[in-house]
Amino acid sequence: MSGALDTPVAARGGAGGAGGIAVGDELTPLVIDVTATLIVAGAIATRDFMPAHHDRDFANAQGAPDIFMNILSDTAYCSRFLTDWAGPDAMVRRLAIRLGVPVFPGHTLTYTGAVTATRVEGDEAIVEVSFRAAGDLGDHVTGTAELSLPVAGVTQ
Amino acid sequence: MSDPTLDERLAALVGTFVSRGGPQVAPDPVNRPMIRHWTAAFGDANPVYVDDEAAAVSRFGQVVAPPLMLQTWTMPTPELTGIAERGGSPVATDGPGPLDLFDRAGYVATLATNSEFEFVRYLHPGDVVAAETVFEDVSEEKQTRLGPGRFVTWATTYTDGDGEVVGRQRFRILKFRPEGVPS
Repeated sequence: MSGALDTPVAARGGAGGAGGIAVGDELTPLVIDVTATLIVAGAIATRDFMPAHHDRDFANAQGAPDIFMNILSDTAYCSRFLTDWAGPDAMVRRLAIRLGVPVFPGHTLTYTGAVTATRVEGDEAIVEVSFRAAGDLGDHVTGTAELSLPVAGVTQ
Repeated sequence: MSDPTLDERLAALVGTFVSRGGPQVAPDPVNRPMIRHWTAAFGDANPVYVDDEAAAVSRFGQVVAPPLMLQTWTMPTPELTGIAERGGSPVATDGPGPLDLFDRAGYVATLATNSEFEFVRYLHPGDVVAAETVFEDVSEEKQTRLGPGRFVTWATTYTDGDGEVVGRQRFRILKFRPEGVPS
């Protein structure tokens, strides 16, 4: 087993970037103002043509008050949230999300998270993160992720 | 509520393909225009997805596709005509598929609940992705806040043009009978 690190690892923000990552670190929050345009753009960019993500009449007929974000957009924002914070050298190794309440146009989504574990595997620093995206009705997404960063400046 | 015949038929789905016809091959190879549209839609400014120079000095050494586009590459080309008549299905089918079992049992509505990805490697422009998706689990009927339904889990293995695994996904949906809607 790879031991947890007592000291920060993994340069952030690219090669030689400043700062390290340690358990308890909070990720930089990401705030998304959800609009109909944003929901439709995300659905089509992910090639999801289910009408509930672009046609309000259809969404209404299915019992939803408005169009709602598709899950491929949810995971897209998760990855943006993770790499905005960890930097372009971060590789997403694993991402697991659970959907909670929906988000609709006019809502605000706020992604927050924290580092739960770190370890070194070969020349990679593995960073485990727990996060959530809170919307107007409650938690829209809860999840965990594992990022890999090139080991830089590991001190033992 | 128990219907042994239905339970048996649903249990028999486990291990079989979710889509008829087996593996789904991406209609287009991984390409820069779709990557650029994706990054614009989500406001993702990570330079390794679009900037050759930045990508060259990154760990990736070249432009890579956003990892969470993995599922997007193999999404089928939609047939927009008739989408409403098909109940919102973006693709036409010439007969009932495995998921129709649920609809015929009254679980007509669908809600995605979980998505889990594992990425083996990032994709590059030119990669041709194929996805093979099988049913992994079908739950018993459960009472949910939306109505009675069954959780359906499927597992997708994504491969590249050489048949090497590039990623895996576990996806869970709730097929349910909306409360208050006659079925």
